[in-house]
Amino acid sequence: MIRFVFPRRAAPALFAACAALAAPPAFAQIAQRPFMVGGGEGGGGASGGLTGWLIEMQSQLTRLIAANLHALHGNPAAIWGLVGFGFAYGVFHAAGPGHGKAVIASYMMASDRALKRGIVLAFLAATLQGAVAVALVGVAALIFNATAMEMNAAANWLALASCSGVIAIGLWLTVTKGRALLSALRVRFAHRAALAAVPAYADAPWRPATGSGAAAAFRAGPPDGLGTAADDPAACGHLHAPDPATLEAGFSWRGAAATVLAAGSRPCSGAILVLVFALAQGLFAAGVAAVVAMSFGVALTTGALAFAAVFAKRLAMRMAAGDDSRIALAARGVEFIAALLVVAFGLALLLVAGRGA
Amino acid sequence: MNSASPARRLAVALLLIATFAFLPAAAAAHPHVWVTVRSTIGFAPDGKVVSVTHDWVFDEMYSSFATQGLAKPGELVTRDIFAPLARQNAGGLAEIGYFTTLKIGGKTAEFGPVKDGDYWMEERPDHLVAFHVDLRLKTPTAPGQYFSLLVADPEYFIDFEYDDNDPIALAAAPSGCSASIAKPKPLEGQDQQKLSESFFTNMAPGTNFGFKMASRVIVACP
Repeated sequence: MIRFVFPRRAAPALFAACAALAAPPAFAQIAQRPFMVGGGEGGGGASGGLTGWLIEMQSQLTRLIAANLHALHGNPAAIWGLVGFGFAYGVFHAAGPGHGKAVIASYMMASDRALKRGIVLAFLAATLQGAVAVALVGVAALIFNATAMEMNAAANWLALASCSGVIAIGLWLTVTKGRALLSALRVRFAHRAALAAVPAYADAPWRPATGSGAAAAFRAGPPDGLGTAADDPAACGHLHAPDPATLEAGFSWRGAAATVLAAGSRPCSGAILVLVFALAQGLFAAGVAAVVAMSFGVALTTGALAFAAVFAKRLAMRMAAGDDSRIALAARGVEFIAALLVVAFGLALLLVAGRGA
Repeated sequence: MNSASPARRLAVALLLIATFAFLPAAAAAHPHVWVTVRSTIGFAPDGKVVSVTHDWVFDEMYSSFATQGLAKPGELVTRDIFAPLARQNAGGLAEIGYFTTLKIGGKTAEFGPVKDGDYWMEERPDHLVAFHVDLRLKTPTAPGQYFSLLVADPEYFIDFEYDDNDPIALAAAPSGCSASIAKPKPLEGQDQQKLSESFFTNMAPGTNFGFKMASRVIVACP
């Protein structure tokens, strides 16, 4: 049997690789993307249809946030408008590229079936992202009076840390889930081989009330992982709900915390802009209030996505209904693909960070 | 209930997952920086197009970001103080195609590198930041009957919009040449598709995408 061991030492090495790949364009004076705002968000948009409407909404909301910040000078009640529009901005804004929602959703699909936990993770990641922006602008601009270039450089480092974290988590998940997938495949093949060995049942749906030979031997087999719920005679021939134990893929709060940290450590360009603008108006606290509201909005959207990811996985399990070895195989397959997605998202983030965008 | 093969049902299930989890998220990214554009197209005495000069004015949010930490309170950020940031911004222009597409006779004109002195950045009295840059064509080109100029960020991080009052000027143009602004065409289904894909890559929806929502300057010369 092949043993995969994810080397713990790989994480710093990965970060170094990320930095080496991304650093030259990101930090050179010359090749940086013009007029960037730290955080490494790509753009992407359209002017027609629903997408155009959403973009228009966000542009309007940005203007409303700016207008309410202005209005705050004479009218303290404008804070409610500021917070409300900030929240709405977060809801719409989280739907765009970045913001770790894809990472969170994929992580949830790869490792969990508890809906509530997905929402908690999304909330934590969004809060962290807001806090990082507040800390960045608060420390860099408010205390050290840093310039745009210095804040961009700081944001780039955070984006790099985030990308290496996401890639590391993705690789860790890929190895774990790959191993689980292999073992599910072995169980499935053993199961089918056992069935095929009994001619009478070779073409029929698996419904052996009594049996002899290999199938019986299989069902009577030792509880070493080959014979699980599928071998329970009472379950035979029924389409039953997936056994929770088959679906549960070992959620760990440590893995979850790492995911939150990786997905949330990249500050968001929109929040940085609002904060610096508020600071310039002498209203930094109001800017922080707006960013907190934005984080709640982002959490709402990412939470909904995490929810959808877990729900979709459950649905997929139900559709793959059959004997438990097949459900388990489907579950491990879905998880493995989700793990690969996390790696892909991490690499995509790296590319964006590498362009200094 | 079991008419479809297991493999097929699994495929459907995976598709469902992708749809459920990710399509709502494909919705939208949006520009973070807004720029009001005024451009001047320069002609040589022989009537050839030789340069495009841009004056870009940034929105108040980016303006306060750019000026942060650079000037004492109550003072405007001068071109001198802005020089490092201006150099950084100008230095990245070539890689992104100067945000400028000048098409003459079906060919995209190439611009020479931007050198120090070709650009500056300053804070205006209304506290908005302006960026000025001279782009010179590598090869001066006869304008033909008409040509077009487009200012856009292909990745749509920046939204360039032409100034309502004074969008475009022609400097030393042959008599009879005139410029007008054409609004963008509505997007087609395929473009929305591209945008959805952009979510999966976490990046901008491919090259040339931002161009589709940009206004286009059409210059006609008789």
